[in-house]
Amino acid sequence: MFDDGILWLAAVNLILWTGLFLYLLAIERRLHDKDDDR
Amino acid sequence: MPARRSPLALASRWLLWLWMAGVIVAAFRAPLAAGFAGLDAASPQTSRIVFFHVPIAITSFVAFMVAAVWSGIYLWRRRPNADRAAAAAVEIGLVFCVLAIVTGALWAEVQWGAFWNWDPRQVSIAIAILFYGAYLNLRGALDDEETRARLSAAYAVLGFVVAPFLFFIMPRLFDMSLHPTPGTSRMEPAIGMVVLASTAGFVALFFWMQGLRRRILTLAAQRRAIEIPGEI
Repeated sequence: MFDDGILWLAAVNLILWTGLFLYLLAIERRLHDKDDDR
Repeated sequence: MPARRSPLALASRWLLWLWMAGVIVAAFRAPLAAGFAGLDAASPQTSRIVFFHVPIAITSFVAFMVAAVWSGIYLWRRRPNADRAAAAAVEIGLVFCVLAIVTGALWAEVQWGAFWNWDPRQVSIAIAILFYGAYLNLRGALDDEETRARLSAAYAVLGFVVAPFLFFIMPRLFDMSLHPTPGTSRMEPAIGMVVLASTAGFVALFFWMQGLRRRILTLAAQRRAIEIPGEI
């Protein structure tokens, strides 16, 4: 499926993207909670 | 009564995750045929950065145009929320712009032998960073919320002219660009599809990030209004 040496790079990209995604999701959740507080 | 998180909104976030995960997989398994964009001769694998570099640069342009639109809306309706949306668009747009110049420099080092080549596109994106960096400086220099919103909106509305000039016209004014001229280089349909899908994903990501930043700026303004009554 992947060329040699590219698989790990794809995996690193996926991990970075998932990390950013979860971070944004957490910010959204916190903002939502603050909206509820008001 | 507390508002419930919309399941549709949450589903759209996870759809974006899936979309970009698909783009990443496609970017790393797309076959780079000989002659791809005329750029893969030196190091075919590094050319995969095209799947990120080009969409990120396009997204920064979209961000600056969105900022110009919100600034125009502010000047028309004088809604503080429009000012905050414009500021958020510039901030996130600058992040994408810096990422575009960094990924471009990394690619340039491999393809052209140096990180910086005074290529018209490199110079124009650097000017864009300075132009929008000055916008943030302008905002930081003004304490009065209304004055800050009005002046920065007038500045960002110039983006309607400045951004298309820097991103599309200036690079074509000089016949010395190392970048391929759009429309003349051959890009295989499969490669083009991944670039397109990546662009759509990054633009969606920008709108998500811009929305979050706008909400943070709104909360900060509300907090200031509580601390300093009379200011919003």
